Amino acid sequence: MRRSIALWRGGLRLYCTDAGDGFQSSKLKIFDRHLKRKQRDRAAWLMKPKDSLIDTVVENLLDRLEDCKRTFPTALCMGGSLEAIRRLLRGRGGIEKLLMMDMSSDMVKLCKDTEQQMPNDNIETSYIVGDEEYLPLKENSVDLVISCLGLHWTNDLPGAMIQCRLALKPDGLFLAAILGGETLKELRIACTIAQMEREGGISPRLSPLAQVRDAGNLLTRAGFTLPGVDVDEYTVRYNSALELIEHLRAMGETSALLQRSKVLKKDTALATSAIYESMFAAEDGTIPATFQIIYMTGWREHYSQQKAKKRGSATVSFHDLQKQFGGDGSG
Amino acid sequence: MVRLGRILLKDGHGGVGISKTLLEFLVCPLSKQPLRLCEKTNCLISDTIGVSYPIVDGIPHLVPTDGKIIETDDALNSDGSVDLPAKRN
Repeated sequence: MRRSIALWRGGLRLYCTDAGDGFQSSKLKIFDRHLKRKQRDRAAWLMKPKDSLIDTVVENLLDRLEDCKRTFPTALCMGGSLEAIRRLLRGRGGIEKLLMMDMSSDMVKLCKDTEQQMPNDNIETSYIVGDEEYLPLKENSVDLVISCLGLHWTNDLPGAMIQCRLALKPDGLFLAAILGGETLKELRIACTIAQMEREGGISPRLSPLAQVRDAGNLLTRAGFTLPGVDVDEYTVRYNSALELIEHLRAMGETSALLQRSKVLKKDTALATSAIYESMFAAEDGTIPATFQIIYMTGWREHYSQQKAKKRGSATVSFHDLQKQFGGDGSG
Repeated sequence: MVRLGRILLKDGHGGVGISKTLLEFLVCPLSKQPLRLCEKTNCLISDTIGVSYPIVDGIPHLVPTDGKIIETDDALNSDGSVDLPAKRN
């Protein structure tokens, strides 16, 4: 019986996505959030106290707070590299109350433990275990939402961003960093070639990621005003492809596709590593891996923000303007 | 200073490990309605949909899959003296 259900599901997969636990079955599901939660638990155990890639991204993201004139007394920090944000905040943004949320309880516990070792001065920190897809936050309650490298694992990214916007007070800021489509392109290529060579076909090994051009659309679709998107590319050098995978594990960024193939043959894995090294290795033997980070900023609408006037609301014609100023210029 | 204040606040609550300030921010992740703190079972209850979310070590677990459905007549029982583990669905 179970087998027939599995087969039926497998047949259906071509046309519709797996409903998983039957929860929220009407919506498209790409990622296995339950697996991602376990991976983040594991990442909490494997994580090194300092990760230069994550620290750079977090610094870059938090730097944006210094560009704002206003302060953000209450802030929500969710998903991804929580611990680094708390550690590197250093009083930026004038945060007084910080809510830290992650869906992995071990990750939250780790943050709580590190806070006890080195507390942030004058910041009242609270912890929540919660899912970005089901944000447990009251409307109009926080001034700032930060998400660093977490939102690219949500099934419904616009939905998650709309929930963030609703949680923000008017004139509140949404700051997020997600991985972009160019991320790990070397690994994608190596995986594909190795699979074709060893298994005679390919299956997705890496998750689909947002493209840069989508990010702006996402912000406007979620209803943020004054949207801003910019992109950074980092190249990290590793001694071997296996080291890269270990790093991905420690960051909790390993694939969590719902329709992934659940076995990885040893020779395919070794072939991937060999192909990666032969195709991309530098002269000194290290292998590069690209991480493309998309930074997104958006604000919740507020009457004080600048915006374009309504069409047809002008009272002076451009013709008159040119006559006025054009005449001044020549005379 | 802040932490000392928080410890005092906790004691005032009689050992239930969640501060009032945090509770003000939280709503039920599914219904987006306010949550009620049940001090006896140490959990947060969403009355509108009858689900309780556990608090572990002072950290509220508000992931929908962590929630437990309470039987209907218990959800209406507002004094919060429900023995939850026995009535798990």
